[in-house]
Amino acid sequence: MTRDKEEKRRQALCINDHVDILLEILKRLDGRSLCTAACVCRLWRALATADSVWEHLCLRRIASPGSSVRPVVSALGGHRRLYMLCVRHLLTRLGRDPGSSSAWDELQLSLSLFCVDYYERLGGRFGDTAATSSLMFLCKPVNV
Amino acid sequence: MKKRDHQDSCSSSYGGDSGGPSSYGKAKVVWEDELDASGGMDELLAVLGYKVRSSDMADVALKLEQLEMVMGQEDGASLSQLQNDTVHYNPSDLSAWVQTMLSEVNAPLTDPAQSLQTDLDFSSLQNYVNAESKQTQLRFSDDSEYDLSAIPGLAAYPPRSPPPPPMQQPEPPPPMQQPEPPPPMQQPEPPRNKRLKTAIGSSSTNPNLPSSSSSSSTVIAAPESTRPVVLVDSQEAGVRLVHTLMACAEAVQQENLKLAEALVKHVGLLALSQAGAMRKVATCFAEALARRIYKIRPQDPLEATYNDILQMHFYETCPYLKFAHFTANQAILEAIGTTNRVHVIDFSLKQGMQWPALMQALALRPGGPPAFRLTGIGPPQPDNTDALQQVGWKLAQLAETIGVKFEFRGYVASSLADLDPAMLDLGSPEMETISVNSVFELHRLLACPGAIEKVLGCIKAMKPKIVTIVEQEASHNGPVFLDRFTESLHYYSSLFDSLEGSGLSPDSEDMMMSEVYLGRQICNVVACEGPDRLERHETLAQWRSRMGSSGFDPVHLGSNAFKQASMLLALFSGGDGYRVEENNGCLMLGWHTRPLIATSAWQLSPTVGNQ
Repeated sequence: MTRDKEEKRRQALCINDHVDILLEILKRLDGRSLCTAACVCRLWRALATADSVWEHLCLRRIASPGSSVRPVVSALGGHRRLYMLCVRHLLTRLGRDPGSSSAWDELQLSLSLFCVDYYERLGGRFGDTAATSSLMFLCKPVNV
Repeated sequence: MKKRDHQDSCSSSYGGDSGGPSSYGKAKVVWEDELDASGGMDELLAVLGYKVRSSDMADVALKLEQLEMVMGQEDGASLSQLQNDTVHYNPSDLSAWVQTMLSEVNAPLTDPAQSLQTDLDFSSLQNYVNAESKQTQLRFSDDSEYDLSAIPGLAAYPPRSPPPPPMQQPEPPPPMQQPEPPPPMQQPEPPRNKRLKTAIGSSSTNPNLPSSSSSSSTVIAAPESTRPVVLVDSQEAGVRLVHTLMACAEAVQQENLKLAEALVKHVGLLALSQAGAMRKVATCFAEALARRIYKIRPQDPLEATYNDILQMHFYETCPYLKFAHFTANQAILEAIGTTNRVHVIDFSLKQGMQWPALMQALALRPGGPPAFRLTGIGPPQPDNTDALQQVGWKLAQLAETIGVKFEFRGYVASSLADLDPAMLDLGSPEMETISVNSVFELHRLLACPGAIEKVLGCIKAMKPKIVTIVEQEASHNGPVFLDRFTESLHYYSSLFDSLEGSGLSPDSEDMMMSEVYLGRQICNVVACEGPDRLERHETLAQWRSRMGSSGFDPVHLGSNAFKQASMLLALFSGGDGYRVEENNGCLMLGWHTRPLIATSAWQLSPTVGNQ
């Protein structure tokens, strides 16, 4: 009996021991789940708030984003912020009509709006986390 | 039996004698018809237990459709209230039932299709409505025949100051079987609001106008059976408002200033009876007309910074400026192709909100970003601060962040006509790709004869690869004042409508500043003349012919611009109201069916005639 138990214990997988697997899983989550995952424990928080995971989320639907996107986005505030401010709103609002616009176009639009937001923040009037007024329209509920 | 009472109370409690000969007459005719033609009921429905007169069938069908539409739009709360509150008698009489239902529904709702009367946020309107009804009752103290509060009595309406004036016509004591909307004693808030709303509508109607106004109170009993039953009163007041505005403008045109003065005061009062966009538009136009009549000097030209601030709020509230910037940027991007140096001359730098998006697109260009040079033209600042340099500095910071080589130069010019291309330090076309950008600036030049030709010549001398122009799509520069007035009334009504649709609360700073921004334009169009009248908007067709005859060829904005614009608009709440249209290579953004701004792109004609 005890041998069985011991074997079971040996075979039990603790995900926290296998960070690479955990990372792969996190990369495939959607935004909301990622945020929830960040609340689990410190390790998960560190992994789930890393920008690379969010980069995966933002660029998931893009076939070949090119190498220039990452430095620009990082400089403007990171992929997590990009997702929070722009991408998720575009996904929900434009998701209704999937055939009409390509993922790359949507990303371009997100990036443009993100850039405008950064520019507005340069004025120094806004706190770090709040969206500037130019992006307020994204927060308004849309008549679906 | 009961139906007869219903009809009776309908005709007698409403506008009574002088106000309602037509409604009473019609009700009477209907009643008599019913008495005569007991066999006039539709047979098939009679088998099912419903009594509908054959002659009424089409009418009842129409009303049932309307009811279905209206009920389909209500949320659950008011719908259940509807079910609980309404008292129906003789439900086999479909015609009366549907009328009662529609009258129930009419009171709290507005017709969403009504373009002048925009969608009202009912909950936020409550306090406003309460306040306004007090005001209008104060102003229209002789509207006692519409003083509906007398009917249910003081239980529902605690006395307001001043107390309702004595009734001019003795109201018959309401018969008990009257299928009124819910006994007001038991239900405080919602029915009160229903009544208050129509009280506004009805009290705003001119008591001197005859029988048509009797249909204005729809609350107490079913309205006239022949009218399409969707909020008649405010619609009517709105129509009356527009007519009065037009009459005032006509009087101004004919130099009949006394009449104009009287009318403009009336407009001011009528405007208070409206709500939302219509009210704001009417107030702006009334003010502008008043300025014109009394020859008040035009408003002090705003400090440029203040104007910039107003435009910033307008930028944030609605998509017009964003649309303008994005489509112009797309045209520039497509024109510059793979060049290594780009030089943009911006006639409308303001806060530079257009350029971050372009710089980002340049940064991600396959093959790397070109060197980006920006020359911004701006008006002189009264306090000698260098606003242009501040904008340039911010843009430079952004450029450094995203890795684009950037250079900025600012030029101060009180009018674009003062510009001299030699001053701009332009490189030759082989060295750099030049592009000229103007958003809502060129129309101001039309105030000075010869200015636009000079500026277009100047642009040609710069030898740009592409010229992007965004202008308002409106004909506000005709020679006849009345035409300009009518055009601008429609234009700004649509614009204000779209502001309402943006979902911002009416007293947010953004909303108010946007209204001030538009209000100043209205004042300029209506009240100013000669060189002061700067807002000389012209239609796309007019700009096309002007550019064509000055030696420019149109460049078609591609499908990318269209797609991006459509996506952008889909993000805005109220996005369903906005429409992007393609018009021979130019893109137009409009609200519902009315195009409001147009983006066009131009290049130099390849012929020698570029002198």
